[in-house]
Amino acid sequence: MKKISIGLFGRYFIKNIMQTKVIYVLLVMFVLLTVFSAVGGINNYSEQNTIRQQHQEKARQSWEANPDKHPHRMAHFGSFAFRKKHPLSMFDFGIERFTGNAVFLEAHRQNSHNFSDAGFSTGTLRFGELSMAMLLQLVLPLIVFFLGFSAIVSERENGTLKILLSQGAHWKEILLGKSLGLFAIAMLFFAPIALATVLFIAFSESITDPTDVWHRFLLLFVGYALFLLLICVITVAVSTTARSSKNALLTLLGIWLLMVVLVPKTSQAIGNALYPTPSKLSFQAAVERDVIEEGDSHDPNDPHFQNMKDSVLAANGVSSVTELPFNYGGFVMREGEKTSARLYKKHHNRLIEVYKKQNNVSKFSAVLNPFTAIKNISMAFSGTNFNGYIDFQQQAETYRYELAQEMNELQMKYISSKVNSSEGKKNVVGHEHWEEFPDFKHQMQPFSNAWNTASFSIFSLLAWVLLSFLGMGYLSNKAKAV
Amino acid sequence: MYRLFFLQFIRSRAVLASLALIILLGGISIGIGQQFLTQKKAAIDQVEQYQKKHLERNVSLHKDDLGLLLYYVKFAFVKSPTNLTGLSIGQSDINPNVQRITIKNLEGQRYDTDLVNPTNLQSGNLDLSFVLIYLFPLLAIVFTFNLLSEETETGTWRLVAVQAPSKTKYLLAKLSIRVLLIYLVLVFLFIMAKVVLSIPLDVHFMMVLLLSLLYVAFWFTLCFFVISFRKNSGFNALLLLSIWLLLLILLPAGINVYLSNRYPVPEALTTMISQRDGYHTKWDTDKTETLQKFYDHYPQFKEFGYPTEGFNWTWYYAMQQMGDDESAKDTRALRQKIKEREAASKRFSALLPNMQLQLTFNQLAKTSLAQHLNFLDATSAFHEELRLFFYPLIFKGESADAIAWEDFEPEYFVSQRTGYKGLWRLLVPMLVACLLMSLCCMVKVRRL
Repeated sequence: MKKISIGLFGRYFIKNIMQTKVIYVLLVMFVLLTVFSAVGGINNYSEQNTIRQQHQEKARQSWEANPDKHPHRMAHFGSFAFRKKHPLSMFDFGIERFTGNAVFLEAHRQNSHNFSDAGFSTGTLRFGELSMAMLLQLVLPLIVFFLGFSAIVSERENGTLKILLSQGAHWKEILLGKSLGLFAIAMLFFAPIALATVLFIAFSESITDPTDVWHRFLLLFVGYALFLLLICVITVAVSTTARSSKNALLTLLGIWLLMVVLVPKTSQAIGNALYPTPSKLSFQAAVERDVIEEGDSHDPNDPHFQNMKDSVLAANGVSSVTELPFNYGGFVMREGEKTSARLYKKHHNRLIEVYKKQNNVSKFSAVLNPFTAIKNISMAFSGTNFNGYIDFQQQAETYRYELAQEMNELQMKYISSKVNSSEGKKNVVGHEHWEEFPDFKHQMQPFSNAWNTASFSIFSLLAWVLLSFLGMGYLSNKAKAV
Repeated sequence: MYRLFFLQFIRSRAVLASLALIILLGGISIGIGQQFLTQKKAAIDQVEQYQKKHLERNVSLHKDDLGLLLYYVKFAFVKSPTNLTGLSIGQSDINPNVQRITIKNLEGQRYDTDLVNPTNLQSGNLDLSFVLIYLFPLLAIVFTFNLLSEETETGTWRLVAVQAPSKTKYLLAKLSIRVLLIYLVLVFLFIMAKVVLSIPLDVHFMMVLLLSLLYVAFWFTLCFFVISFRKNSGFNALLLLSIWLLLLILLPAGINVYLSNRYPVPEALTTMISQRDGYHTKWDTDKTETLQKFYDHYPQFKEFGYPTEGFNWTWYYAMQQMGDDESAKDTRALRQKIKEREAASKRFSALLPNMQLQLTFNQLAKTSLAQHLNFLDATSAFHEELRLFFYPLIFKGESADAIAWEDFEPEYFVSQRTGYKGLWRLLVPMLVACLLMSLCCMVKVRRL
């Protein structure tokens, strides 16, 4: 196998394609689609982040504007968590349209994450959204198939293959050369998308951690390049084994339909059917049941809290809660919050496990389907996957818990032990404490996290690329010239 | 001759494989629809049972303090799914069909979501409407792309041209076999859906069937038009798949990006904040002022006066009411924005048969956005009814024993009946699309 001949076959293939008119039509159309989706993605990213940032600030202003107040009133006044979009969400929208992006945080209660874009949408959102990632995952493979389906088979059909081989060319050189030639053309289509993303990262002022974003971009770039290489090798392989050009094209179209439309959709549906989501009521009822069992701080006669009261009184050597050195109401709520938050977390984690099991069916199908592998890699590094959403939920819940407990501590410390009402201007804490408690700030997941989530898909993709080259080696021994 | 056409057609492995695949996927999709319906119905049963227990527990805990009791008690309001939902799940997977609300401020409660896995939502439901909208066109493509070109490619077309009395009739005969076969599969799937999902044989079901038949007809005419240009099989397959890609994926996806960016909904977040501030800031403001605003809204409760000493429930629920009253402006803006969004979405959909079909299916199955908004409105009315019933009892300081709690069963949303008169209009866009394509075919076929 000579490098020089591989280069020759590659260049010849590119030259042939560049002589057709259709490549320019496709390129122009693809660039237009890229521009449309880049503008759409960047607009959506900056607009949504501005809206959410404004509301986060607005909510904070009313929090800080509170006068001197009983801390428990502040615990219910509460705060909001608005989810920030990752800069690379302009590239891959992921599941973001379908996640609630705002949640009200208050004591005792874990509210639902509301206002997903999909909730305000008519059913048409299910047709998908045009993003640059979608162009790379769906449209570009189809273009590659179209440009490459006849790469080998047409040479066989018109007899040139026989001549090439009889003049000393090796199958390996031909297959590799044409695959690489096709890959070069695929990269030509990839270039405008990569360029748009690079320009965005370089010039957007909203990016706080450019190093992280560049790393992510680099991985996305390599990931998609490998994916495209794989697609090119598959195309050439199919072209080699097909009986006629028509058959090669039909086989490739069939692969596309199966891998892009049918398998992903069906695997997610199977996951959903195998591990059904519990109803909201059974979830809430289960949490409630556990809380009642352990001790309900809102039930005046709860035995758990009766016992606790007796032991607190004994430990402090007093006979009534009004003689305690701290506000007992605050103490009860602190303990109650601990219990209810822990139990909620337990059930919520179980729910997340169910979701993860549902998702795993399609995640593991990446072994069989490289399209799923690249989809998962893409979402993970664009910060728009399931884990990013769960991480936001956890950040919001942690903040909620800290807020409630901070207010309980203030109540224990500053409110007289004789007070049991939060009404009026009498039993209050100075408003300077409100500013002291920091605002919620959504932190993006670190790079390593995306890597961990996507590792399975990354290995699947690498395995696919490796296998495809091995397959090409095998094919070069078996392929026929006529 | 038809028998021969049929035998020749059915001999192809690709044809048999795609027929088997679509029947399999159709069956799966009906199963998924059934699972969805069963889950929803089970959840409703659960709500029925839970409400009784929930009321009993809370009444026994707080029976001396009606104000406190109603702080905790939740009342369920339910939208039962129609059986057609199993066929077109639409927006009913994302929008909750059970609301459990207290009489406290409504705006803080009614947008609460169900438990849903967003990855499932993104992937979308594999219901029969999906199979119909995405896969039947593909089937039509597979069946027709080489209808004419295989004859030229195998050299039989010249024989036909010489021997057949009319080339057009010959092609139409070949085509009709394929159309018939697909219609058979379609009707078979519909019968299966009817039985499995026990859908009543009403006008809505018939509309869904009729629209599906028209939609498939549209695709056949489109395919026929493309193949009548007499290009080779590979070219036809590629062109038809590109059209499919454009109509079913690229155009809707582009429209969706446009709609989301053109109509963002910051109003939702604003409402969220303003309902909180509306209520919570009242703990620090003048009680008389709050009560005055409350009585301005409900003059009938004026008799309960202006108690300002310490905590009392009249003042408390007046504060809660302020959460709703002071966010009313933002709520209206939010609703306005959603309506604009919906209207724009409908305008675009009118241009694309597939989007049009999905929206119409959802409408017929009562799983559309508009119907969810109706449900939200009805939730408001239900909430208002509860308030007006409980407010005077709380303000009077009645005991919980004075109330017949067993009467408070979950209430059901009754959607407005869509008149049969307007229904035929839903057919118009699809009919127009079909007619237009047929016309194109006729013009083309004459020159064959």
